[in-house]
Amino acid sequence: MGVDWNSFFEGLTTAMSLQNIIFIILGGLLGTIVGMLPGLGPATAIAVLIPITFGMDSTSALVLLGAIYYGAMYGGSRSSILINTPGDGSAIAATFDGYPMTRKGQAGQALTLATIASLIGGTIAIVGFVFLAQPLANFALRFGPAEYFFLLLFTLSAVVSLAKGNMIKGFVSMALGLLITTIGVDSQSGVYRYTFDIPHLSEGIDFLVVIIGIYAVGEVLYNILLLNDDSQRIKESVGKTWITKEQWKRSFWPMIRQSPVGFLIGILPGAGGSIASMISYSTEQQLSKKSDEFGKGAPEGLAAPESSNNAAAVGAFIPMLTMGIPGSGTTAVILGALIMLGLQPGPMLFQNQPDVVWTFINSLFIGNIALVIMNILLIGVLIKILKTPPKVLYPIILVLAFIGTYTLGYSIVDFAILMIFGVIGLFMKILNIPTAPLILAVIIGHQLEQNFRMASVSYDNVFAMMTASPIAILFAVLTVSSVFLPMILGRLSRVKVNNKG
Amino acid sequence: METIRFIVPSIILLISVIYLILTFNLPESKVGNPTAAMNYPLLIGFSLLGLSVLYILSEIKDKKKTFTAFKIFADKELTIKVIVVLVFCLGYTLLFERIGFLISTVLFLGALLFLINGRRKWLMNITVAVLFSFISWYTFAELLSVSLP
Repeated sequence: MGVDWNSFFEGLTTAMSLQNIIFIILGGLLGTIVGMLPGLGPATAIAVLIPITFGMDSTSALVLLGAIYYGAMYGGSRSSILINTPGDGSAIAATFDGYPMTRKGQAGQALTLATIASLIGGTIAIVGFVFLAQPLANFALRFGPAEYFFLLLFTLSAVVSLAKGNMIKGFVSMALGLLITTIGVDSQSGVYRYTFDIPHLSEGIDFLVVIIGIYAVGEVLYNILLLNDDSQRIKESVGKTWITKEQWKRSFWPMIRQSPVGFLIGILPGAGGSIASMISYSTEQQLSKKSDEFGKGAPEGLAAPESSNNAAAVGAFIPMLTMGIPGSGTTAVILGALIMLGLQPGPMLFQNQPDVVWTFINSLFIGNIALVIMNILLIGVLIKILKTPPKVLYPIILVLAFIGTYTLGYSIVDFAILMIFGVIGLFMKILNIPTAPLILAVIIGHQLEQNFRMASVSYDNVFAMMTASPIAILFAVLTVSSVFLPMILGRLSRVKVNNKG
Repeated sequence: METIRFIVPSIILLISVIYLILTFNLPESKVGNPTAAMNYPLLIGFSLLGLSVLYILSEIKDKKKTFTAFKIFADKELTIKVIVVLVFCLGYTLLFERIGFLISTVLFLGALLFLINGRRKWLMNITVAVLFSFISWYTFAELLSVSLP
């Protein structure tokens, strides 16, 4: 138990190596650029950029992916603030007060403030990570198939239950994802399932192809449909870059308070940045003496969710690295990439490859600082990149998606699969069917089936599986309540509204 | 009632039925429990079937609300563009291994740029298509040693 300081400092040294510093800067910059593009968030950024990690050693690849993720988080708030278009869920709250600041001519200050808030959130969360990750990994060693099965099930149901008022669609999305993972040769019995005599399908559908299809191709197709939408143009003037004393004073405590909140929410599977930033925003609104200014460009209304969502991003790495459980669409994409690179996230990662883990953690810290410098110094340049016509960028992203897909399996069968999932992604977006449950299911579906089958051999029935240990009971209860609690609460609030009405 | 709102839920229902039929026809496992390979897919198939029915029911419940999701296709010009993009993707798939990465990518990217960015910016389109294809070929094939056709 406790922090392994030797490994920590070794990791710090490795992270400071010239090669890794270059990867941090490169990843941060690429992530910022892709994350900044309207409609494209961290998940897309990573999905499109995964191929550049091929051929790298696993530590540097993880460092680079982490930096891309971080960069995309920073970048995501840029498009929220400047053009009111969040790249993903966790950047939505930045539009509430960030965009009004832009309209008041304070775009530069809003960008700087969001950057500082992200730094504070990220840094506080990294300290939390250092102390909490290893104890959690040790705890996870006690998990057997039954415990894992219910933990995985809880992760899925938690992600679905976040699709407020949309739970049926969320579960449909999840079931489709699980269905995809049953394609291919069954690893236990050798039975060919749903392969239609296509040899390439015997290995199953690569989850990265699904991810690139839905996040990159689907998003691009959707954005082509919106090309004539004028709301995505950028204003010319950004105003001053440095924030005023008053803005700093109003934002300081909200940032400090909301960072741990975001971090803890980030650790929970399924919760992630969107929930964290929303909760932080509404808490600060309630705490603020100037709550009437929220939504009209209050600096703390921008700083609080920005620090919180970056802290959540770090928190989300804990279940991913210690248990192999991704808590969000984005961490699911990273998990997929790690498995591709031959790393097996899980409790043993900390024992077998402490160098990888600690280098990564330290690189997050260095990455944060590098991104602040880049984002503040390069505000002008970044805005110019944001002005690169989307009409040129979308074709490039499409081509990148195809190249990335080809490098995964060297087969054009994957191109067909990519296109199918691109169209599925487009319709999911149009019909408001959440994509995160599908992505998560595609990534953990195989694990879910294997643990389910192993547990069904050890236990006679589902009830025996559920009561296998206190941990299994806990996750079984959490799974059931994550499905029914939102429904019951929804009903209750409707009854209340009706009574008042 | 707008029947258009039932299209996607019905497709999902159909998928679940086909999936279940395929599952029932899976060969038996020669080792251990003969139905081991199909139990879990059955669970998923029936779940998806139930969920698609619920989805249809929820659409029936919402029938008074106007179904606006497909309004995005109202802009005919852009909808056609998306279809053409998909046709180009299909063409790229067919040509990729036959004429090689570099030529097929220049053609694909060029075609996409002419379609989306417009014919008037032909110089920019051609420059981007050629430069980007060459840079990505160099990065993947030479720097990352990825074998491309």
